[in-house]
Amino acid sequence: MHVIESIIMALASVRSHMLRSSLTLLSIGIGVFAIIASSGITGTLTQTLSSQLADLGENSMLIQRTPTLQFGGNWRKYQSRPDLTPEIARGLRHQMTTTQLISVSNTSNGYTVETTADASNPDVAVIGIDDLYFQVNAVSLQQGRSFTEQEVTLGSNVAIIGTDLLPLFNGTSPLGQRIKIRNQEFIVVGVLERKGGVLGQSQDNRVLLPLSIFIKYYSSRWDTSVDIAIKAYGKDAVSATFEEAVGIMRGLRDLKPWQENDFEIDLNEALAGQFNNLSAAIVVVAWVSGIGALLAAGIGIMNMMLVSVKERTREIGVRKALGAKRRWITRQFLIESITLCQLGGFTGVLGGLAVSYSATLLVRSSALPSLSFVWPLEAIIFSVVACTVIGVGFGFYPAWKAARLDPIEALRYE
Amino acid sequence: MESDSTAIIQIENIAKVYEMGEEQVHALRDVSLTINGNEYIALMGPSGSGKSTLMNMLGCLDTPSSGSYLFKGENVSEMSDDDLAEIRNREIGFVFQTFNLLPRASALQNVELPLVYSGMSKRDRLDRAADALHRVGLDNRMDHRPNELSGGQRQRVAIARALVTDPAIILADEPTGNLDSRTGQDIMGLFDELWKAGNTIILVTHEEDIARHAHRIVRLRDGKVESDTENAHAPLV
Repeated sequence: MHVIESIIMALASVRSHMLRSSLTLLSIGIGVFAIIASSGITGTLTQTLSSQLADLGENSMLIQRTPTLQFGGNWRKYQSRPDLTPEIARGLRHQMTTTQLISVSNTSNGYTVETTADASNPDVAVIGIDDLYFQVNAVSLQQGRSFTEQEVTLGSNVAIIGTDLLPLFNGTSPLGQRIKIRNQEFIVVGVLERKGGVLGQSQDNRVLLPLSIFIKYYSSRWDTSVDIAIKAYGKDAVSATFEEAVGIMRGLRDLKPWQENDFEIDLNEALAGQFNNLSAAIVVVAWVSGIGALLAAGIGIMNMMLVSVKERTREIGVRKALGAKRRWITRQFLIESITLCQLGGFTGVLGGLAVSYSATLLVRSSALPSLSFVWPLEAIIFSVVACTVIGVGFGFYPAWKAARLDPIEALRYE
Repeated sequence: MESDSTAIIQIENIAKVYEMGEEQVHALRDVSLTINGNEYIALMGPSGSGKSTLMNMLGCLDTPSSGSYLFKGENVSEMSDDDLAEIRNREIGFVFQTFNLLPRASALQNVELPLVYSGMSKRDRLDRAADALHRVGLDNRMDHRPNELSGGQRQRVAIARALVTDPAIILADEPTGNLDSRTGQDIMGLFDELWKAGNTIILVTHEEDIARHAHRIVRLRDGKVESDTENAHAPLV
């Protein structure tokens, strides 16, 4: 039996029952879509994530009140933790012997930056930093200078801006110019090196201010806790510095030996790991739901094929009368169900690729110019294989039923 | 019969019993029949006479409960489904009352179908299918679908499909039942010609007019052969 004929038959039966077929094909499409889109997006992100992850530099660790990414229902536990304050940071700096590179910063989002000529969108991140910020974090200056210790302690009205804000100055050098953030004026003293983005968030749409003035005017009402970044002197010193930091933190917090830490401390690698876990979780959820949808679609395919066998009983009778053996009939209906599955799968692959590709374009144009689309090849291969398996698996019973029809009964069927 | 051909079909003492729940229905009892090459036979009988059962048997769609059925010397009674399919494909051309063409396929594709199952190459299939359509006078309708053809033309396609494998017998079940009488006569004229060209034809019908075309009439009643006579009125073709 030629395969082409069976494929044409399958397409014809799709056409003759447009609604029923498209619903079944849609369910397969959704399953495949979920798998392709999630694999495409996470694959593309994780490729660039590790290098672009965060500001945190090499051999650095970060102490925070709550974890960067929170899973599950520990929200209450985290919210009851006491704030991290500049005093705690001073305590660490006072007591730590393995390093003195300790920097305090805090971030608050959603500000508008105004210049004499223009104003930004209300989505600029304002970050309060101290004088060691540039030494501890993987952030550097493109032009101008950092804050002096004096500016940080006094809370001078100086600012360092990210490259996203450069257009506000109409092509003139921003250095020495005034910017206004919520009624406070600042003089721009430096411009950050361009960093790109992480998870679609630009890392260049930001203004750095001295920490003290930040705390005074911009600290979030809900989260006044600061982040403390600590840099070990070298790769070999990381674990010692980490241990010391934990010990001193517990001392400063007055924790008894049986009490657990009421702060989070993570190495930058661990933070990268958290992002990886997140993307792995996305992939797992999408695959599980995708496979679930595919199985449900398989049942739909089986139903569709059973109806098709029933409707074409007479045709099967004719074919058997003309000399079609059982295996010819089985093969014909199997090819039909595989064709249906592949048709659904193909739409799913196209949809999934379209969504993940446009997501990539979007992120690239807004935040991450270095992002390049990663074709989810494994997922595409998996989808084609899965559609074939489902076509055979769920098409087998209807095909077997068709093949075993009694030709006399089948010919008599109205 | 006086035919010089050897026997194609030899049926001896066959019976067919169906189980209908507790009851046993004897559709055929002790039927014997020999059909030689290039015979033109009409199988007649009222409904319930076992006519259809015998036809299914002759067409290798069914096997007898007892008795022996030799098709060209091969014992059909014990064959499996797939072996029967092979015999049907090779040796029997079916023509049905309701034509039974595949609606989505062209005339050529319909005629080609039995050759697909016999595993012939695409080129040979198309050659032979076109040739068969030529024999039934449908050269210029090859690409038409059944719904673009008249009833008579559809039956001609079906006859071409029956001819295309060059079978030992052509088994036609009420071939004119769905046609008006004039078209019916045309179709019967076609069968007459096929017989003249050397084919063996078995007509299953309840119409005397149609049966008259045959040279031998077998009448069934209550599952038995009531009479098996030569037809004196057969047209001298």
